[in-house]
Amino acid sequence: MSSIGETTDRLRVLPNTDQVKELQTILRDRQTTHSDFVFYADRLIRLVVEEGLNQLPYTKCTVVTPTGREYLGIAFAKGNCGVSICRSGEAMEKGLRECCRSIRIGKVLIDSDPRTNDVRVLYARLLPDIRKRRVLLLYPLLSTGNTVAKAISVLKDSHVSESNIFLLTLFCTPHSVQQLISKFPGVTILTSEVSKSIPQYFGMKYFGTE
Amino acid sequence: MVVSLMQNGLDSRYEGRMNTCRDKICGVSILRAGETMENALRGVVKDCKMGKILIQTNQETNGPELYYLRLPKDVHQYRILLMDATVATGAAALMAIRVLLDHDVPEENIMLLSLLMCETGVHSVAYAFPKVRLITTAVDRELSAQFHVLPGVGNFGDRYYGTEAAVAHYSSSDLEDSEDSD
Repeated sequence: MSSIGETTDRLRVLPNTDQVKELQTILRDRQTTHSDFVFYADRLIRLVVEEGLNQLPYTKCTVVTPTGREYLGIAFAKGNCGVSICRSGEAMEKGLRECCRSIRIGKVLIDSDPRTNDVRVLYARLLPDIRKRRVLLLYPLLSTGNTVAKAISVLKDSHVSESNIFLLTLFCTPHSVQQLISKFPGVTILTSEVSKSIPQYFGMKYFGTE
Repeated sequence: MVVSLMQNGLDSRYEGRMNTCRDKICGVSILRAGETMENALRGVVKDCKMGKILIQTNQETNGPELYYLRLPKDVHQYRILLMDATVATGAAALMAIRVLLDHDVPEENIMLLSLLMCETGVHSVAYAFPKVRLITTAVDRELSAQFHVLPGVGNFGDRYYGTEAAVAHYSSSDLEDSEDSD
């Protein structure tokens, strides 16, 4: 991770506990059945989403418990939303909904030409007041980072500031992280692993298509 | 944990980790508050075996009593995740652990999972069964005279399931009331 260097406060990787490593192992294993893949992918997604929620701002507040005593706690600030990048990002919507019951989720469909590596936006439905919100951008795999870079420019065109964008992803390559951080230094990236080889077929395996 | 080599779709190898006792985990929930944690365990360990224990406080002696028990066969071979949402005095947890030990479960195979424990409960379980692991999100310091955790979270089972305690003048079989004092 030393190549990431001074940008580490913009990149957060899940602690590499045995449980996380086991989830990653199951997702990479070619023998994993479809239903196991979905089950364990949902678990890893949930862990990254929870860590993403940890990055959001909060305020201190005091509540009164049923015993009549006061408790000094915290409450998360409202005004968040999700944006998923079709199709693989939609796998992460369920995890986000399980943590935030009625969070609004926008969608962006980005197509990339495999020959030229050009990316185009085919479809975008974002919240009308997204410029005032913090955005959790959902996309599980970053290999070149081009797709996500395009999505972030779409968000910036809608006046979302970079410091309000939190990219939630499962696996990314070091190259994609470098590229995103140099292009968009204000964005925070959360991932479970940064590694040279990532499971490219995640979307296909999750949705069971070829 | 065992490190094993796996092959991903691109025909390359990946050195990963695998939990060696994934098939031998069993959740045991202490009714009713512990049942709130069953879904979470099932969501993380697929097809986990689940046992149940019902312990109520005897109104005359104020001691815990075992009312209902269902455990999987050969429970002594499993790692047990004992679940109760709140632990106040620790009396119910102590009885549950004794029941498991009576079924030959090794003490070090038991983990007590809870959302909120009271210091009193932590000390009593740790003192009686030092090899049992205690996992909780928070520890509150005080207990009220009626053995409620302070500041606490209230009666977790009632709040979770949206029920209310029965009115106080049913003294002999007031199950809701006795649930508070564990």
